[in-house]
Amino acid sequence: MIIQAHGLRKTFTTRSRKGVQTVEAVRGVGLDVEKGEIFGVLGPNGAGKTTTIRMLATLITPDAGTAVIAGHDLLKEPAAVRRHLGYVSQAGGVEDTASARAQIMMAARIHGVADPGRATAEALDRFGLTELADRPGRTLSGGQKRRVAIALGLVHGPPLLFLDEPTTGLDPQNRANLWDRIRQLRESGTSVLLSTHYLDEADALCDRLMIVDHGRVVAEGTPADLKREVSGDVITLRTDQPGRAAETVKALARETRVDDDLLRVYVDDGEHTLPGLLRALEEQGVSLTSIALDRSTLDDVFLAKTGRTLRDAGAAA
Amino acid sequence: MIRHTLLFTGYELRKQFSNPIWPLFGIMQPLLYLLMFAPLLRTMTPGGTTVDALRMFTPAAMMMIAVFGSLFSGFGLIAELRNGSLERYAVSPAWRPAIVLGRVARDMVVLVLQAVLVLVVAIVMGVRIGALDLVLVLLLMAATGLFASGLSQGLALTIRDENGMSQTINLFMLPLMLLGGLLVPIAFAPDWMRLLAPFNPLYHAVEAGRALFDGRLSEPAIPIAFAVFLVLAVLSTMWSMRSLRKIAG
Repeated sequence: MIIQAHGLRKTFTTRSRKGVQTVEAVRGVGLDVEKGEIFGVLGPNGAGKTTTIRMLATLITPDAGTAVIAGHDLLKEPAAVRRHLGYVSQAGGVEDTASARAQIMMAARIHGVADPGRATAEALDRFGLTELADRPGRTLSGGQKRRVAIALGLVHGPPLLFLDEPTTGLDPQNRANLWDRIRQLRESGTSVLLSTHYLDEADALCDRLMIVDHGRVVAEGTPADLKREVSGDVITLRTDQPGRAAETVKALARETRVDDDLLRVYVDDGEHTLPGLLRALEEQGVSLTSIALDRSTLDDVFLAKTGRTLRDAGAAA
Repeated sequence: MIRHTLLFTGYELRKQFSNPIWPLFGIMQPLLYLLMFAPLLRTMTPGGTTVDALRMFTPAAMMMIAVFGSLFSGFGLIAELRNGSLERYAVSPAWRPAIVLGRVARDMVVLVLQAVLVLVVAIVMGVRIGALDLVLVLLLMAATGLFASGLSQGLALTIRDENGMSQTINLFMLPLMLLGGLLVPIAFAPDWMRLLAPFNPLYHAVEAGRALFDGRLSEPAIPIAFAVFLVLAVLSTMWSMRSLRKIAG
């Protein structure tokens, strides 16, 4: 176990002209991360992902809760925790004027790496940055900057890496490229705690994950387990009479959910349920505009646990 | 502790000089003051020669670089706050005060280089100063710059906004400069300004600087200025290190 955290809480107080406002960013989050696994924190913006990571990275002190990271108590030995961490924030931490090489070299020196020059060259090489190594940070593209950010977090070979929304703002190609590099970390034995609001990212990368909403953990498990818990498949129907359609198919479904003119029908075996379901709807005279059959996604898990889709939750935040 | 401070100092200095144009521009400003402002002062100076004017203005120009050059150095921290690199260092095993101290030390090095240049120009233009006086002037200037640099890093970490920061500095700059007798000696000022001047720490620095340039080593202004600025420098540096703690637990 490289991270064991229990009951983490953090409330922020802001004073403005409108008066004192308190925001309960994290309300009792616990997580256990095994050595060598990629553990995801999935949730909409404002769910408390970044606050949780910042607490675990010794940047903010939790109001309550305990955590042991790489064998050291977060509150009693923050310095020891820092020595075992690589931390890549949402902003990335790439400076504007210094070159990637100078920044990575500095990070290696601060961490007391035995041969900073070699460690830097290796980090640059590993992330395909050797060609760009001497360009100032500000001239790098978004994807290049991300790679520098991760190289900065890894140059001292930490057993644990925190990645706070590593692919936000990247184009699909750069995202796929970065996913590959994060997967390679698992092969090298580095444990990763990764936060994201992308479902596909959590699904593709994480060995286990927890879903957070409003500062609480709403679900935890492997992506496959979580999806199985909801149901195997989801049939999405578009119709003028969603209520009536829901009544009709109830007997065939594990669960149904109406959202405007959309009806989501959760079933264990979509392929074999579909013909019967269509027949039943036809008998009842419900006309359909469209129909789709999908494997259930983590969004369906989120919907089942919180009553909202991740997309709605993100738009509201 | 010391190792990390030196590491940050070296890193910041390399960044500063990676594009030598900007430090060069920074050095130009005090030179231009000497070349273009001192002649303006000539008619107001007892004696009325350019050398007399320079003897009065060079110490003021040096304090001006020390304060106003360093006051703007905190801007760099705001950018680093935004791009996350400050946070990155805060999670590293770096001794945290070193993050700020490295920058303050960088400002000191730049300041001494600028001061030497100004002195060389002043000497070429005919000003003479004793070796001990020279060392004391440089030390006083370093203390003044230390105060201003610490203040600037603290302001940057507290205000965290470039616009707010530049407005704040500008607000204080003019009264500090005029009430310190930097441009025009306070002896020319009306009574109320003369009463206010001693409350401006810069006034003491400039008075001491002028005394040193005149070779009046026994002048009480000198120990007063050193005492004032050592205390202020310690306070502002401590404040800036504390402000860093607010950023990261």
